[in-house]
Amino acid sequence: MAKKYTQGLYDPSFERDSCGFGLIANIDNKPNHQIIDTAIESLKRLTHRGAISVDGKSGDGCGVLLKLPKSFFSEIARTLNITLSEKYAVGNIFLNTDLQKREKTKSIIQSCIEKEGLTLSGWREVPVNESACGEVAKNTLPFVEQIFVSCKDEMSRGAFNRKLFLARKRAEQELTQVDECSYILSLSSETINYKGMVMPEALPEFFLDLKNKNMETSACVFHQRFSTNTLPEWRLAQPFRYLAHNGEINTIQGNRFWAEARKKYLQSDLLGDISDIQPIISSYGSDSMSLDNMLELMQISGMSIIQAMKILMPPAWQANEMMDSDIKAFYEFYSCHMEPWDGPAGIVLMDGRYAACSLDRNGLRPSRYVLTKDRNITIASEIGVYDYPEEDVIQKGRLGPGEMIAVDFYEARILNNDEIHHKLKSGAPYKKWLRDGFRYLDSQLIDRKIAAEPMDKETLVSYQKMFNLTREELKEVISFLAVTEQEPVGSMGDDTPMPVLSKKIRSPFDYFRQQFAQVTNPPIDSLRERVVMTLQTNIGVSGELFDIKAEDAKQVIINSPVLSQQKLRQLMSPDFYGDHHAFIDLNYHESNDLVSALKRMCSEAEEAVRAKKAFILLSDRYIKSNMIPAHALLATGAIHHHLVRLGLRSRTNIIVETGVARDSHHFACLIGYGATAVYPYLVYQSLHDLARKGSVDRSQQLGRSFRRGIRKGLFKIMSKMGISSIASYRGAQLFEIIGLHDEIINRCFIGTVSRIQGARFSDLEEDQRELAIHSRSPQIALSQGGLYKYVHDGEYHCYNPDVISTLQQAVKSSNYETYIKYAQLVDQRPVSTLRDLMKPLPIGSPIDKVDVEPVSHIIKRFDSAGMSLGALSPEAHEALAIGMNRLGGKSNSGEGGEDPSRFNNERRSKIKQIASGRFGVTAEYLVNAEVIQIKMAQGAKPGEGGQLPGHKVNKMIAKLRYAKPGVGLISPPPHHDIYSIEDLSQLIFDLKQVNPEALISVKLVAEPGVGTIAAGVVKAYADLITISGYDGGTGASPLSSVKYAGSPWELGLSETHQVLCKNNMRHKVRLQTDGGLKTGLDVVKAAMLGAESFGFGTGPMVALGCKYLRICHLNNCATGVATQNNVLRNEYFIGLPEMVINFFTFIAEDVRYWLAKLGAKKLEDLIGRTDLIELLPGETKRQQSLDLRPIIDSDGLTKDKPRFCTDLYNEPYDKGEMAESMLSETMSSIKDKIGGEFHFNIANYNRSIGSRLSGEIARLHGNHGMADTPLKINLTGTAGQSLGAFNVSGLNISLTGDANDYVGKGMTGGRIVIRPPESRNFKSEDTVIIGNTCLYGATGGHLFASGQAGERFAVRNSGATAVVEGAGDHCCEYMTGGVVVVLGQTGLNFGAGMTGGFAYVLDLDRKFVDLYNHELIDIHRITPENMEAHTHHLRALLREHLNETQSELAQDILFDFRSFLSKFWVVKPKAAELGSLITSLNEAA
Amino acid sequence: MSKHPLQYLELPRKDPEKDIPEVRIKHYDEIYASYDGAEAASQAGRCISCGIPYCEWKCPVHNYIPNWLELIEEGKLFEAAELSHQTNSLPEICGRVCPQDRLCEDACTLNNGVGAVSIGNIEKYITDEAIKQGWRPNMDHVKDTGKKVAIIGAGPAGLSAADVLARAGIRPVVFDAYPEIGGLLTFGIPPFKLNKDVVKTRRHLLEGMGVEFVLSTYVGTDRSFSSIYDEYDAVFIGTGTYKEISGGFKGENLKGVYKALPYLIGNVNEELGISDSENPYVDLKKKNVVVLGGGDTGMDCNRTAIRQGASKVNCVYRRNEENMPGSRREVSNSKEEGVSFLFNKQPLEIIGTDCVTGVKLASTELGPPDESGRRAPKIIQGSEEIIEANAVIVAFGYLPDAPDWVSENAIKINDYGCIDVASEENLPFQTTNMKVFAGGDIVRGSDLVVTAVFEGREAAKSIISFLK
Repeated sequence: MAKKYTQGLYDPSFERDSCGFGLIANIDNKPNHQIIDTAIESLKRLTHRGAISVDGKSGDGCGVLLKLPKSFFSEIARTLNITLSEKYAVGNIFLNTDLQKREKTKSIIQSCIEKEGLTLSGWREVPVNESACGEVAKNTLPFVEQIFVSCKDEMSRGAFNRKLFLARKRAEQELTQVDECSYILSLSSETINYKGMVMPEALPEFFLDLKNKNMETSACVFHQRFSTNTLPEWRLAQPFRYLAHNGEINTIQGNRFWAEARKKYLQSDLLGDISDIQPIISSYGSDSMSLDNMLELMQISGMSIIQAMKILMPPAWQANEMMDSDIKAFYEFYSCHMEPWDGPAGIVLMDGRYAACSLDRNGLRPSRYVLTKDRNITIASEIGVYDYPEEDVIQKGRLGPGEMIAVDFYEARILNNDEIHHKLKSGAPYKKWLRDGFRYLDSQLIDRKIAAEPMDKETLVSYQKMFNLTREELKEVISFLAVTEQEPVGSMGDDTPMPVLSKKIRSPFDYFRQQFAQVTNPPIDSLRERVVMTLQTNIGVSGELFDIKAEDAKQVIINSPVLSQQKLRQLMSPDFYGDHHAFIDLNYHESNDLVSALKRMCSEAEEAVRAKKAFILLSDRYIKSNMIPAHALLATGAIHHHLVRLGLRSRTNIIVETGVARDSHHFACLIGYGATAVYPYLVYQSLHDLARKGSVDRSQQLGRSFRRGIRKGLFKIMSKMGISSIASYRGAQLFEIIGLHDEIINRCFIGTVSRIQGARFSDLEEDQRELAIHSRSPQIALSQGGLYKYVHDGEYHCYNPDVISTLQQAVKSSNYETYIKYAQLVDQRPVSTLRDLMKPLPIGSPIDKVDVEPVSHIIKRFDSAGMSLGALSPEAHEALAIGMNRLGGKSNSGEGGEDPSRFNNERRSKIKQIASGRFGVTAEYLVNAEVIQIKMAQGAKPGEGGQLPGHKVNKMIAKLRYAKPGVGLISPPPHHDIYSIEDLSQLIFDLKQVNPEALISVKLVAEPGVGTIAAGVVKAYADLITISGYDGGTGASPLSSVKYAGSPWELGLSETHQVLCKNNMRHKVRLQTDGGLKTGLDVVKAAMLGAESFGFGTGPMVALGCKYLRICHLNNCATGVATQNNVLRNEYFIGLPEMVINFFTFIAEDVRYWLAKLGAKKLEDLIGRTDLIELLPGETKRQQSLDLRPIIDSDGLTKDKPRFCTDLYNEPYDKGEMAESMLSETMSSIKDKIGGEFHFNIANYNRSIGSRLSGEIARLHGNHGMADTPLKINLTGTAGQSLGAFNVSGLNISLTGDANDYVGKGMTGGRIVIRPPESRNFKSEDTVIIGNTCLYGATGGHLFASGQAGERFAVRNSGATAVVEGAGDHCCEYMTGGVVVVLGQTGLNFGAGMTGGFAYVLDLDRKFVDLYNHELIDIHRITPENMEAHTHHLRALLREHLNETQSELAQDILFDFRSFLSKFWVVKPKAAELGSLITSLNEAA
Repeated sequence: MSKHPLQYLELPRKDPEKDIPEVRIKHYDEIYASYDGAEAASQAGRCISCGIPYCEWKCPVHNYIPNWLELIEEGKLFEAAELSHQTNSLPEICGRVCPQDRLCEDACTLNNGVGAVSIGNIEKYITDEAIKQGWRPNMDHVKDTGKKVAIIGAGPAGLSAADVLARAGIRPVVFDAYPEIGGLLTFGIPPFKLNKDVVKTRRHLLEGMGVEFVLSTYVGTDRSFSSIYDEYDAVFIGTGTYKEISGGFKGENLKGVYKALPYLIGNVNEELGISDSENPYVDLKKKNVVVLGGGDTGMDCNRTAIRQGASKVNCVYRRNEENMPGSRREVSNSKEEGVSFLFNKQPLEIIGTDCVTGVKLASTELGPPDESGRRAPKIIQGSEEIIEANAVIVAFGYLPDAPDWVSENAIKINDYGCIDVASEENLPFQTTNMKVFAGGDIVRGSDLVVTAVFEGREAAKSIISFLK
């Protein structure tokens, strides 16, 4: 069953998927064929959320999970002469097309069923129509049969299903040996599953049963898949047996490991011994599949699916002060025994009793429901997925973060979230158990006896040398953390070799690269959305999930895994675990070797657990003479995996007392490989010494501040992967290892991606032995370091003084000879990057340089990398643009807008970037681009947002970014309209609507699986993809991100090229790479690895005078390149466009030199020719044990297929027909600027309506040119996503009905009005009318919506005015301007990161004080006496709202305005003056 | 942690006060005052901590300049002194005599018009002030290895080697022909650049660290090399370069023509009250002096002559001012003190029958750059002229002049007359005789003090490994 094969750099485990999903159920459990038809109709209407294969017909898979249509199957059985018992089960099975294998499989299934005492009543060939499949699907088409199973009448339903489960599991176990093709879709007496790799409309054409009117069901879960993967597999279609999932489980690796670790205790008496069917939770296949396995196990073991789902995917209960304490106790109790399965998730699930829909704690997937008069409830990713008469609607709504809604078929009613909680909390006396069992460590207690004993100076220095601590690290990292409680920030990129390439002794932690979310799942903003994050760590024994008792609550609770001296000592005191812990010494005698030391530690740990020790303390604290420490990470990993393998890990805790943990990455690694908590004694000792010396202020509580800094760092690292809870991060191994040999992986880091081998145990041990010598030699001073800043004799830096000064000389003097000197310095440097171990081979004998394509051709392939105005001075930014334009290359605006005065001349940036802050992104900006680049991640800090500090926001920057001077601006970690691959597809669609001529580029950062993501991006219709290396530059980024995140582009580029070629997609997209490219040779090697276009960031900056000072973030760049300071810009900036021109011309010339030498006439001849790369042996032992063959693997790449892009444009499947017809109807009115009124009907599949028109208006008249003669567009129905995206002045959209996500995002002018139909039976203020993330990045215009808005309303709004009647969580997040009126309840975390604009919130039930985020904003009452201006302003907005929407609520408020007025809050940034809000609003307008 | 990022712009570079020329030419004291603590701190605070410390890169010993600047900014004098000594054995001397304007301060990022950080003066301040306040090199944890090493030559290379060896528990014994340590530091460099008390202070420090000096002992005559070779575990040779480069033109032997080095040594001897027949005191009072050569030695001669009361000093150099090898700072000091420069003039002959009466010069122009990248001067035909002079100092530099016992002991000398330490199989600065190491001018020809410091230190590190 597990088709696990890897080829080159691709690994099937990299696959991601996402999609459209839904559920339709009749509350009274009345079967009806209509439900199936409606489900399929809904699926069709969600086609845009799925993906289509290259054959244009095969989908990534879709399917339905039906409540068993009993009458239909009884009838079938009757006609087939199959005798069924009263209770019976039916299942669909994919079988091998080979008859013999099929028969073998069937007989195995039969015997397994019979072994359980059940009866196989019969088989039926499922009628299918192959012609409904596309070519890709047909190639792997299985044979589908149905199985009927009967049981004895006295058997209970539960028992029957348990036996079916066991039979199926045992059959699956046996079948893995026999036939990998077979797959049992479901086998149950309650539900049945039909799914396949077809498009939604083809599903009933393929499975003829679904068309049969006699097939009637009372509920149906449906799903359509958008997979990044394209190597198709039928079994991966959804729904699974219990659920369908939209989104991604970020924590999946950890969840799988913990399932393995707990397998002995995840056994219910009901099931008996199931050790023969392990692993129950599959460790391959999709994340959703594993989640389904776990849900099934919990359900089969006797838990209700709603309880199981709530345990698996709890809401963010820790920080929610409004939650009922009993339900909190429920969650807290189970948190000791199951870590959250976390990630963006909308889940629909169903068994015999319940059908439900559940959202993750962040609410990152949309879920809307509608209840109609026929007692059918439909829940789906979108509203309007089938046509129901508006007057039949009883209720419409949406699920909020962490919420669930369920249909209870037994009680024939809907359970809302509160009712579900009510049911759950009464399951056991959770609160009492916790009260009795939980113990907390007292952090205030300072007991002299347990205070740290300082090391004497010499001992300390010898420890510092033993653990390779440098003065640089002491100052830049440890002191910084302890003094500021923040991680240090730096700029520029990492230009040092990866540790495996280095000739210096590097920390083993350096081999680990943090993984991060991009495209398929979003990172979280751990600062602004702190409410979902938790580091709470329990120390205790993980109990048995199916046999809960008071004793299971015996836990010690600590608020973070970073221990202080006091906490560790308390844990080890007799009151706590004095006798119940074991000490394992990480130090071993020099005459021993590392591996046997690790083995010794593993067996000591095993012994300790068997002796029921509650924790084991791994320590390198007590080094005796002739002893050397084994690295704590190696030991932690080895012990963790050893205990997992034995099923013992959940019975103990691993606490690490170590000198190696110093920055947040170190802690993350230790925890990521299983440590429960870490005690960094050497940091405390070093801080004590620094304080003694007066280097840091000793009056501060340095240790505590250090821990706070590390905690923030841990939050950031977790949130980068979209993980909220440390429990889910622990043991999840979310790293890529670069440069360790498999012998280490297989002992310590099993399952971590590691693709190129490298250092062995002996190498690491040798390093440690050398450090030990230093440690014992007093005359050797503590090393200066040099990892971050260049130091003589320290680590090699690719941008070193010689390289920089030679390059600057060359471009200044226009002297190609000097360039050659520079190129030699670079090309002949000591091996520092993977490409330095690659040598290009000729394709023929050398040719004359005159026969090689000219410089002008080559330069077309060169772009400058995105660097914003804001990071760069305007002089540098424009010099770069002018240089590129004169050359015929392209410059990239970066995020932050562009002055319209640059649009039509040589100062223009041809590439316009759109990043998560959406600064300056308007329709006019977009139509002035040749390429629009969506920056998903940045090499220097993938998975993170950014912040432009207030002092850098001068008048000009503020104007371009639609902000106020001096106010800091935040770029969120995720694009709030991209939480998933289909969301990216939507944004690409939006952009192509606004500017159909531009190419859309997506910038990704290299990490394992980036190739698979890229395949998804191609299916999302991007035209270009950039793969950035980890070494990309930055204007400001936490040091730990610069150093530890992202992979080399050689890996990412090559993986992407391989995956795209294999999937026959390479011709559809242009592939670019960037990251440290410096010479023609770099370009040639990148081309051979698959790039056809090349990005340069730091190089041209250095050409313009940048000296790599790494102070960009301080705004004091002495070369005037990266500063807004006038003196520095005017007097010390020496850059000229000519220098940029020289730089690129030299490189192109250098490329020509190589082409001639290699016998190639043009660069194209070398693209993707990995066969021309010779791998060099390397200079050091470590380099020599690398295996770079996977990078140049060309197996399976067909030679006759294109190796580069041949399609000019990647055209979306959705042709946007409605938008085109709207345009043709309105075109003359736009051209002549005369406006007019037009009417159209609209449905949910009509997406981005209005954007096409806005684009045309902006092209012809600019953002505001048509303000006085607007088009009025009247729409009726349900609008698809992105209604009015990038709306401009002159376009007024009025919709009667409702709308989905992203209404008015990027709006800069005009007006959007949405009101419910008049023939409605619901109250508008109680009903959701627009979806999530509306007005994201809006810079102007008006929105009036008579109803509630979803999550993140007006996120990053910087100028729009809006009135809505309620809003979800995170309303007004990161807002910098504009006005938002909410005439009803808001969700949690209102106004997080809000630095500008203001809001009025009507707070009738007095909850708002607890709902808003107190960090940056404050709230005030309006009193008529002192705030006349606000009163007038608010009343005017309400009148406008009433006029536009005829809102009854607005009418009621206006009717009794005086009494309502006292219930409004004015919400404003703390920094803003209350009195000047309105005046500054008028100024902005 | 948070300092004002634009301090470097708002607070201009300020060097310590310098005596006015009228006063300073009257004595041999150093002409520069020193920073006080506050000035040093605020000037050090101008450093922007570049991602690439260009100063450190350009510095021949790679001093951790930004780091000790920061310590000074924070007022941590002793820590700065410790750190300063981690890379440099004679920081207070380098702070005075290094041509910073060609090295660290030239490379300083702020040398783009803003004004480089005054690194040299701060370097000088650190050790001077720390010593004044009682700081001494910390030898508490040095364990005596029982090994001892002979060092021949108490110049910067030898002293630096001694410093490094002493800290590693190896006992250095330094032999020198002169009665005081320092070599050219004491005898070559005039006291107005380097006060002799500074060298004396350093001697006390070194002796406090256990370094033994055997002075007025000329190895080869007073003490045989072989006896040293046999007695010690290793030998370091740092005897420097003392052989003058002559101009090779007529009249060099005339009376009134002096070689730069004996002239300078004679003057120091006079100051220190040492009698030395080989380097007699030459008094140029009221003489019309011509100094030939544009290097730092030339500048030293210029300014010594001025202080002796010369009536006129002309300094002749064959390239233009731009291409002078001497430190710009010293050129301008010379000018301030009344020296006239004749650029683009090549001396052809020293005129005179018995005594010197003049110098025959020709004008030059600069040709294209040669292999070394410097532009070679070409004589312009017919431009000869004669300038008057009654004293001429030839300051064309020095050549290595290895003592005879060098080659006698299987220590290879290369074509340039330098001791050869270039073998890749050997440790750095190890000679062809494995027990013998060498560094400084005797290895590379005459060069900067700081280069000699670097080589002495590196050689000492090699000796430590050799003795392990």
